[in-house]
Amino acid sequence: MSGFHEGSAMLLSNFVLPNDLHVHWSMMIVLYPYITGLVDGAFIIAALYYLFDIKTLKPVARFSLLFALAFLCCATIPLLLHLGRPERNFNMLLTPNPSSAMAGFGYIYAVSMGVLGFIVLFVYREDLVRLKQQSRGMMKLIYRLLTFDCDDLSPKAMALNERLIKILVGLGIPVAAVLHGYVGFIFGGVKANPTWSTPLMPVIFLFSACVSGISAIVLAYIVIRKLTGKAIDGPCIITCIKTLTGFFILAFSFEMLEVFSHSYLKSGYHHMVEGLLNGPLAASFWLWQVKICSGIPLVLLGVMAFIKLSQTRYNLLAAGVSAILLLQVFIMRWNVVIGGQLMSKSARGYTVFHPEWLDKEGILSVIVVMIIPFVILFVLGKIFPFWSDDRGESID
Amino acid sequence: MSNYALRLIAVATTLVVATGIGFVVKAQLIPDSFGKYGHYRANAIDEEVQRPIRHGTNTSCLKCHTYEAAIHLKGRHNTISCEFCHGTYADHVSNGKKSGTLPVKKNTEISTLCLRCHNTEIKARSQAVIKTVAMPQHLESQEVKLTHTCNQCHHVHAPLKYINRAKQITGLTEAES
Repeated sequence: MSGFHEGSAMLLSNFVLPNDLHVHWSMMIVLYPYITGLVDGAFIIAALYYLFDIKTLKPVARFSLLFALAFLCCATIPLLLHLGRPERNFNMLLTPNPSSAMAGFGYIYAVSMGVLGFIVLFVYREDLVRLKQQSRGMMKLIYRLLTFDCDDLSPKAMALNERLIKILVGLGIPVAAVLHGYVGFIFGGVKANPTWSTPLMPVIFLFSACVSGISAIVLAYIVIRKLTGKAIDGPCIITCIKTLTGFFILAFSFEMLEVFSHSYLKSGYHHMVEGLLNGPLAASFWLWQVKICSGIPLVLLGVMAFIKLSQTRYNLLAAGVSAILLLQVFIMRWNVVIGGQLMSKSARGYTVFHPEWLDKEGILSVIVVMIIPFVILFVLGKIFPFWSDDRGESID
Repeated sequence: MSNYALRLIAVATTLVVATGIGFVVKAQLIPDSFGKYGHYRANAIDEEVQRPIRHGTNTSCLKCHTYEAAIHLKGRHNTISCEFCHGTYADHVSNGKKSGTLPVKKNTEISTLCLRCHNTEIKARSQAVIKTVAMPQHLESQEVKLTHTCNQCHHVHAPLKYINRAKQITGLTEAES
């Protein structure tokens, strides 16, 4: 008779419509904005160096571009895994509907991929030409392709190269902002969901994207340099952390501003949002996102800003803060995407979400999807040297 | 103009040409009838019309099953489609002749089937529309064994048929259809 009681295992509250029981946009849709956010933030670091001439960021500038490229390569994987018939996404791209924003991502993605790809080729030009001359066989063919089969490194050619980098990075900033702002816009555009339907959504997504991307670059830089026994550039880490502090203060303020405006305006569905944040999301929003993963970094960033620390301690704190902030942004995406779906359209009840391990969109898939960009990064590292001091001298 | 600049012009030209080819391929891949009536493939309408009909109405079923018809049409379940519980018409009849046997639910399968609609956990519809019960509380309150299946007390086509008959015999209360 156990079949009778299947329903009673669900921890539903009040009145949940049958089509609201299941959370349809699950962990893959959490990963999608997380990955595009990492791309966006990493690109900002590169843009600060190549466009705005912040010289101290030089050690991580090239690496940021490769990091962004590796993650951008994987930005569509979560979406395609989520779709029941992934091959049909091409139909949508063939006949985009002006009244639906869904096809937009395909076009924005293609443009950002092209822009980022060419930025990497122009930034690495000198190295690529040198490596082409040193390599043989298959690698030589790859480098011939990547240098457009041209060894010209004359001052005139390099001046043109510099100009192209500036133009493309300048173009890349709005493209990166649109790529990730679009994700926020898609959520903000879902009128039926009171937690998503706010014009603040793209803004919050953009700032938290910068936080996650910069944190990822800081953490990856420190970890890779430590593991390979190379020196960590102090001023570079300090500039990264200062930039991170600025973006995090903005991101956190907007996250709180959204809650405040919901609570102050007391719009039609305010009682639902309030119940959601204090009910099913009490632990993941207030405890994890706000108190632990935002409170601790704010204190640590304050310590790093105002107290004189040795560079080793500063680097250690930088790695720690970055790791916590990466978690903060992931939890924020979780609370927005999954949390937003825990409310029933009945406006009277909440459902629950149980992640599964072996599901197509389960925890194992999440881990695999998050490993793929690092594999791509590793392969990219074999073609494009991560650091400008890899050959013992400065390149840029 | 440097060698590199010329090479870049070649790359840019290739990109423009590739984009042009992309647009041509895109135009080729879009189905001919797309956009004739709206933002969809007009031929899809004809294709859907050609799709064989799989479902029938209760009239189709009850034409042959006259014994069940007599009970079903008088009971509380008279608006429920036969296919809800028994399966698809096309799996049973083709070209007006019996072509297959629909599976018959037995024992606990019947109870599971009933609870698809009559489970209190499904809160979307009010008690006035569908009577719902919690299990095993319902069996306990009726003072029957917990292994009882729904159809031991309720006729599946007319759920109150036996209940009302029992009430009539015992004189407990007035009859209800």
